[in-house]
Amino acid sequence: MTAYLIRRLLTLVPVLAVVVTVVFLLIHLIPGDPVSVMLGPDATEAQAKATRQALGLDSPLHEQLLKFYARVLRGDLGQSYFLDRPVVTALLERAEPTLVLTFSALLVAVAIGVPSGIIAAAYQGSLWDRALMLLSLLGVCVPGFWLSLNFIYLFAVRLGWLPVAGYASIFTDPLAALRYMVLPAVSLGFSQSALIARISRSCMLEVLQQDYIRTARAKGVSQGSVIGIHAFRNALVPVVTVIGITMAILIGGAVVTEIVFNIPGLGRLIISAVLRRDYPVVQGVILVTATAYVLINLVVDVLYVFIDPRIRYG
Amino acid sequence: MGATIGGWRPSLKAHRPAALLVLTSLVLLGLNPLTVEAQKKGGTLRVGILGEPPSLDVHWTTATITETLGNHIYEGLYTLDATNRPIPMLAESHAVSKDGLVYTFKLRQGVKFHNGKEMTSDDVVASLARWGKQSVYGKALFAQVADWKALDKYTVEMKLKEKSAIVLISLAVPNNFGAIYPKEIAEKFAPEVKATEFVGTGPFKLAEWKPDQYIRMVRFDEYKPRSEKPNGFGGGKTAYVDEVRWQPVPEVATRVAQVETGELDFADDLNLDAYDRLKKNPNLRPIVVIGNGWLIAVLNKKEGLMTSQKLRQAWQAAIDIEPIMKNVAGGHTEFYRMDSSLIMTEIAAWHTKLSGLPWNERNRDKAKRLMQEAGYKREPVRFMTTQEYKWMYDFALLTKQQLEDVGFVIDLQVVDWATLVKRRNNSKEYDAFTTGIGAIYDPAHVNFLSASWPGWTTDEDILKLQADMARETDPKKRMAMWEQQTRQVYEKVPMIRYGDLAALRAIRNATKGYDEKMQRVRFVNVWVEK
Amino acid sequence: MAEAPVRPSWRRRAARNRNIVLGSAILAIVIFAALLAGVISTHDPRRLNPTQRLKAPSAANLLGTDEFGRDVFSLVLHGAQVSLLVGATTMILTSLWGIVIGLIAGYYRRVDLPLMRVMDGLMAFPAILLAIALMAARGPGVGNVIFALSVVYTPRTAMLIRSTVLSLRELDYVQAARALGRQDLGIAFRHILPNCVGPLLVQSSFIFAYAILAEAILGFLGVGVPPYVPSWGNVIASGKNVIREAFWVSLFPGLALTISGLSLNLLGDGLRDVLDPRLRVQ
Repeated sequence: MTAYLIRRLLTLVPVLAVVVTVVFLLIHLIPGDPVSVMLGPDATEAQAKATRQALGLDSPLHEQLLKFYARVLRGDLGQSYFLDRPVVTALLERAEPTLVLTFSALLVAVAIGVPSGIIAAAYQGSLWDRALMLLSLLGVCVPGFWLSLNFIYLFAVRLGWLPVAGYASIFTDPLAALRYMVLPAVSLGFSQSALIARISRSCMLEVLQQDYIRTARAKGVSQGSVIGIHAFRNALVPVVTVIGITMAILIGGAVVTEIVFNIPGLGRLIISAVLRRDYPVVQGVILVTATAYVLINLVVDVLYVFIDPRIRYG
Repeated sequence: MGATIGGWRPSLKAHRPAALLVLTSLVLLGLNPLTVEAQKKGGTLRVGILGEPPSLDVHWTTATITETLGNHIYEGLYTLDATNRPIPMLAESHAVSKDGLVYTFKLRQGVKFHNGKEMTSDDVVASLARWGKQSVYGKALFAQVADWKALDKYTVEMKLKEKSAIVLISLAVPNNFGAIYPKEIAEKFAPEVKATEFVGTGPFKLAEWKPDQYIRMVRFDEYKPRSEKPNGFGGGKTAYVDEVRWQPVPEVATRVAQVETGELDFADDLNLDAYDRLKKNPNLRPIVVIGNGWLIAVLNKKEGLMTSQKLRQAWQAAIDIEPIMKNVAGGHTEFYRMDSSLIMTEIAAWHTKLSGLPWNERNRDKAKRLMQEAGYKREPVRFMTTQEYKWMYDFALLTKQQLEDVGFVIDLQVVDWATLVKRRNNSKEYDAFTTGIGAIYDPAHVNFLSASWPGWTTDEDILKLQADMARETDPKKRMAMWEQQTRQVYEKVPMIRYGDLAALRAIRNATKGYDEKMQRVRFVNVWVEK
Repeated sequence: MAEAPVRPSWRRRAARNRNIVLGSAILAIVIFAALLAGVISTHDPRRLNPTQRLKAPSAANLLGTDEFGRDVFSLVLHGAQVSLLVGATTMILTSLWGIVIGLIAGYYRRVDLPLMRVMDGLMAFPAILLAIALMAARGPGVGNVIFALSVVYTPRTAMLIRSTVLSLRELDYVQAARALGRQDLGIAFRHILPNCVGPLLVQSSFIFAYAILAEAILGFLGVGVPPYVPSWGNVIASGKNVIREAFWVSLFPGLALTISGLSLNLLGDGLRDVLDPRLRVQ
């Protein structure tokens, strides 16, 4: 097991290296001179030169790449020219809302998806099963942002139960924070819950057909215990994996949700950075989110090993 | 006789002299004794705005958001009263020499900056020198200034090269205005660089700026208001609320919804479609500001297709303005005005009512003929606009269709506002762009008739008349020159004038004291009823 | 010659599979509508009619009009063209690139490791964010949207092909072919690729669905095709400003998106049942 863990950790390095390289290459995909695009034509020659140096655009490509690696490892992600502050600062200022949103959505997705999948599996073929699976199919197909718009219209405007948009920090006002998070988390988590439901159901079904389950049943163990104790723990394994994949999709989906609900997170940051041609910020956001995803996957893989010790990765 | 309470007989007759005295005083003080509302100190005002200001350095940009926010924390030597004339703010008084070439300003004493420092002539000289190099209005004024210095701690002197009609008005204009910064800040940041420290003398001071979340301004307790009553943007200004919290809400539908639910106390820049719904809401009322600005398509006369005067005239001849305005105004006829005057009705002193101008001719044949004479070969016209100001995108899209119907090929480039403001300085990037012209308080300030503002109007006749107008001090003569200039503008077409558009705001009923007639948003003298 | 794992009667099984039938039928309708958009449309979708703004669905405008008086029905039909174009092209490009990269990685051990790290790295980026960043660099336009989405989805296809290759190259008949001196490329084409078709088809339908949705999201966010080009994302975006006065503007393109996604997901599920039972989600 430790050998597996070590090998797994080692793969981190090349993957992250690729991530950093892709982020670096982004600026070079821009047609024309990126600096004049960023600063605009009324920038003085001195400013253009300084920016070129800061971005490392004034030396051969491989040198630039190495310099970029060095900067990233130092934790210097450059300067946001629009916000007049280091990119890292801009990212830190906006990390909290995105993290809260993503985790809330994950909670919603798991809370809806896992029980639905398990129930559907337990009553396979019944009306419940069919209904839940139909709902989950719709969940996958309905565009999240469209769902958000409709939710706002229904719950916030028409019924007035929840606020239209906005964000409050848990640390300053927990109750308000909760109210503001309901619609965003549900509309973001709903689509993902569908995927989790389907996978939970299929894993559960597979497990339910295993010999030891049949043995337990033959021994007279109740259906409830069978599902609750034996099947559940084993079905958890692939579900944990799905959670890892879900995170990546959620981080992406958070962008749109933040725009619709006016949440001041990384998603809104990257959109306004794109519109303002603030490339260092764009690079910063995707670097951070990709790295987060890689690390989350690592954690999931490690969890995998601990949940199911039968699995050997020698 | 009347009932008695413990021997004391209440009788108005007996107390008549006292009552009369009280009533008279109340009336003299201008208070209606029946409906006086007590202003309450305290509370937070949450205001929804359409985006992040590019900066709070008012010297640096003409952006309306910067102007609105900046006028809460900064003040200038002069400001505008309710009739749009200059009145003193940080200045105490001024004197002009007999030949009109020397202006001496006496400053108010004991005025504190937010950092505790007292404002003196050094601060004024440094600030306005910076303003004079960067601001559109500052540059217009300082082009005529020969010398500018402090005479003593509370006196500054401006020596002009020639007589000028625009000294006070330039110092009073609220947009891109001559705010007084502390000397250290004015000297620290070069004019073309955005200042990143914001210290002023206004009734509010900047407490916190969290980009994309909010900008918090709190009451400046050491603010000394002027003794006069509030008058337009000037007079006595009191900050009743503890805090004004400006929240950027880029989605207009969200802004509207939030003021309806009470998440916001005030929402600015709303889409006119929302008016009917807002009117029905019992907790708030919509505010319509008719003369908010007029729509303009600025043409690039330095390079590209629009250097051709005939092509510009073709554009002007082709468009049918009314349906465009009606659509932009959400179908409401009362929210737009058809007017050819280059300065809006609200600025009565400079409003023109000329006839026979080639404005809104809707003459497609004339347009086609002009295009042919110009030798137009269906090259794409690059027309820049933005969706951030919805009305800009709307009139650009409608224009595109009308122009294409006469044979133009329009390449509509939709970018964000910050990019547009940057790109419009580069003559290679576009042929036309959209924007709005707000209140212009003096014809010499008209930015689209200057050679340095984007679009680059370099026509000699136009520029000469502008310069002459700045020099001429007789108001009647100036008006005649302005009318002449207007005719010239419609002949040479440096830009295309559409109609006037109203702005829609919404205010919750619990917010009191707001002056709805004001062109711009100000929260001084405003309080919140709990 | 030993039989390939795909059963010869898959055609018949496909015809009987409910998901495939339903999915194909709906997809066919969508494609039909898109192809005939020019003919079926009642109006020019780009034509602004300021006097007809925000009209509810009626005989004159089947799905109502938007804030410029543009006919929503025509917008949805023409929007289908953009969506299907982006979806199909992305699907084809990712398949091609995926096959090339997957084959190389599966076949040549030495290149496999670095290639897979690159693919892992690319897949670490949340799809939409990477697409947004690429659009930031390249600018608006259909071509750039397709480019961005292809870059984002190719790694998934490449990994799929690679794993298929890996599982097949050890098979007897492949080894036999090699022993007989057949060229690698020949083996690839004759024996390996045909067996990739199944999983590839399944994967492709899902990529088609993701790409359509991604294009709409980019349009909605304002970083896709220019706002006046009819596309489902653009129409939903313009509708969100007037959702209370005219809910139909955002409603119908959203339904169209849902239906298209539904058809492709059904198709993908059905194909998975038929072509690759190992991957079956019961």
